[in-house]
Amino acid sequence: MNKFLKKLMNINSKKQIPSNSTPSKAQEIEMKNISFETIKDEIKKIFGHTADLKADDILVGKSEAIIFYLDTVINTDFLKDMLGQTLESPVEQDIRITSVDELQAFGKKAFGVSGYKLIHTLSEMTETILEGRIAVIIKGVPAALTISFINSEGRTVSEPTTQTVVRGPKDAFVEDISTNINLIRKRIKNHNLQFEKFKVGNETRTSVYIGSVKGIVNEKILEEVRKRIKDINISAIFESANIEELIQDKSATVFPLALNTERPDSVSSALLDGKIAIITDGTPFILLVPAVLTDFFISSEDNYQNYFMSSFIRMIRYLSFMIGLLMPSAYVGVLTFHPELLPTTLLLSVIAQREGVPFPAVIEVFIMEITFEILREAGVRMPRAVGQTVSIVGALVIGQAAAEAGIISNIMVIIVAITAIANFVFPNYSFANASRLIRFVLIIVASILGLYGVLLVLIFMVAHLSSLRSVGVPYLAPVAPFIVEDQKDIFIRTPIWFQNKRPAYLSPTTLDKQKPQGSPSPPKQSKGGSGD
Amino acid sequence: MLKENISLSQLITLVINFLLGSAIVVGVGMEAKRDAWIVIIAGLFIGLLIISAYYFLLSLQPGKNFFEILEICFSRPVAIVMSLGYICYFLYIACRVIRDFGEMISAAILPLTPIEVTVALLALVIGYILYMGIEVLGRTSEIFTPYTFAFMLMLFIFLYGSGNIEISNLEPVAANGWKPIVKAIVPSISVFPYGEMIAFTVVLADVTNFKYSRVISIFGVIIASMLLLLSVFLIITSLGENIALRSNFPLLSAARLVSIGEFIERIDALVVFIIMLGILIKSSVFIYGGLKGLEYVFNKPYRFFSIPIACIVSMFSIFISNDFSDHIREGLYVDIFVLHLPMEYGVPILILVTLLFKKWRKDRSAGKEVKA
Repeated sequence: MNKFLKKLMNINSKKQIPSNSTPSKAQEIEMKNISFETIKDEIKKIFGHTADLKADDILVGKSEAIIFYLDTVINTDFLKDMLGQTLESPVEQDIRITSVDELQAFGKKAFGVSGYKLIHTLSEMTETILEGRIAVIIKGVPAALTISFINSEGRTVSEPTTQTVVRGPKDAFVEDISTNINLIRKRIKNHNLQFEKFKVGNETRTSVYIGSVKGIVNEKILEEVRKRIKDINISAIFESANIEELIQDKSATVFPLALNTERPDSVSSALLDGKIAIITDGTPFILLVPAVLTDFFISSEDNYQNYFMSSFIRMIRYLSFMIGLLMPSAYVGVLTFHPELLPTTLLLSVIAQREGVPFPAVIEVFIMEITFEILREAGVRMPRAVGQTVSIVGALVIGQAAAEAGIISNIMVIIVAITAIANFVFPNYSFANASRLIRFVLIIVASILGLYGVLLVLIFMVAHLSSLRSVGVPYLAPVAPFIVEDQKDIFIRTPIWFQNKRPAYLSPTTLDKQKPQGSPSPPKQSKGGSGD
Repeated sequence: MLKENISLSQLITLVINFLLGSAIVVGVGMEAKRDAWIVIIAGLFIGLLIISAYYFLLSLQPGKNFFEILEICFSRPVAIVMSLGYICYFLYIACRVIRDFGEMISAAILPLTPIEVTVALLALVIGYILYMGIEVLGRTSEIFTPYTFAFMLMLFIFLYGSGNIEISNLEPVAANGWKPIVKAIVPSISVFPYGEMIAFTVVLADVTNFKYSRVISIFGVIIASMLLLLSVFLIITSLGENIALRSNFPLLSAARLVSIGEFIERIDALVVFIIMLGILIKSSVFIYGGLKGLEYVFNKPYRFFSIPIACIVSMFSIFISNDFSDHIREGLYVDIFVLHLPMEYGVPILILVTLLFKKWRKDRSAGKEVKA
């Protein structure tokens, strides 16, 4: 019966992931059907001519054994120690393993702590070897003992590079997935924090974990995320962006429908709000879903400084979003179609500056905006060694020199600079990119239809935004549909003792964060007559 | 097909913008000259009456929209003929609303751009919104409405600050007697904009919390009337009745008076925004009414019709009249009696009587059965 079930499961797994890496029929063979002598050849057949596959004959007690491993994946120093201490140690000299049960007993005794696993088929064995485990096969035993020796060398935890804060934790996620989960676990010491493992990517078999806090997260949303991750059918996953693209509700949009962050504190607080973290192996960026538009305007530092200040900064962010989006198109629209909207003195000064400029306003804006985009891209891609050159040349092109040469007006330099800086205010890079694209659409429309066109595009944009959903949650959630209780942490940040509820738009299982309480206050002075 | 729903807060913004719509473009109650504010206040009560009546009509058959109620009252063939009439009526009003706006844009904002272009682009955006569904319309309106309030308030502050408001312009009250005022109330303001809420007989059926939608829409009518009152107050007090009467777009003219410290001048953009949002919502609601009618007649999801109908509306908004004065004349002297009165009052009353009669007969027969 058991065997039948196992077979069934194997068939199922084959159906789900049709790919190169799925075991072929030859690999489905169970261990007991292969003799000890031919197993080396079988494994070699599967792996081909790869140079890093090692198959060594050893003695475990008195029994003959072979160990298989990829020496590029495992930590060979550990392996040497382990061989000396356990597998070939003198203590175990007289041990003799002849059955699966004995193997299990041995594994428990020797590797109980470091985690051993018994496997029964060749395909499983292939997979475990690829994961960085070693497989020990003992003569006459129809199973293999695998032990994890993964070489987790990688970047150490360092400061975040894209989402920096002045005050707040300075650690950021790294490429290694267990380190990342460790960083989250360190912050939420709660047994309800759970991680589910998935293998995504038919060729890469990348580990993807879905993290959520049971009792807070909405089970329906979690189930939806689970379903979407399972439904992914793609050959390779290298970054969480790949996953983001594959699970979003709608592809035809420039707006990011999942929040990515490299800050463990952001992830932790989002998890406790009822969001779901999607952690991908090999990338420091963790996805948070469902994401709503206002999430992209919230930095984790907002909670680490005075709430008046945070509210002000948040206002500045929304303002700079509008500036970054509208400044160039408003310039074009006003100058081309509605110069009368400007106060007379300002209009005169602008016109005087544009005196010698040979281009119409829209061409001027386009030249400068495109130049800026080129500089920006160059700044990101260039080798560090030539960085100086680009910034000096860039400053010349986009700055005073261009204005002095009479190609563009001074006010244009100011507008491009403000737009550019406003675009860097976002705590999240991916949202800034969306506004960059729309900016160009707005400039073109403004040059044809003036401010009326700008307004039309804005209405179109809002309509588009309100049609978006992130894992079923409306993208403009606490604003449209309007939810009064959620306004405590959207446009302004209220004090945290006042935010007693989790965001209702996520429909969390338990809405209350903590018992409602008053503001912290000094101890009441007991005056003589007041108490009675 | 998933049932779409709009929330109560979305409903209230829809009602507000709907009533502001073209009323704020061309000015309302202007026949009564400086007493237009009396007309608006009277209109408020008529509006409350009308929306309550429409709500009562819908509550007799909960969950059904106007077209489905037509079928219940009469048979499906008759209902289809009447629905086609209403579809044409709704789309015609949408054309008129969009035309109002197009005329304003080409007269005051973009004089060199052909009106066909401005109208077609607006219609396409409306088509896109309706293609996404009534939910998206509700959310869009919900997001922009706070700006309408803020801009209206700013307009008031700026006009007041630049010293343009002369309360004495409102005096004397009822100088020409009460006849023009009454004439402006019945039928003018009771069919435009209040009677046009007939389109909400289609939208109200989509509200999540139908029970509260009466209270909410009544609040919407009150708030919208207050905003209309404010706009009329600003127009009359700042422009004076003579200029206000002669101006095609009185609120825009009033906004152009603003001048504070030689810096805050020409805040047309604010007014254009208020107007544009109103127009967008109003014409969308009407087109949505038409689309729902088409859905009822042809048994196809209304989304399929949205873009083609938007194109047709944009085309006919140009064809319906030769120029602006023709357009306004048609609205003031022809439509009221030929279209508005029968469509907004006649047929609904007929339906109401039929429904009540059917209910009465059913109750009676049920009573008889119990007795027997």
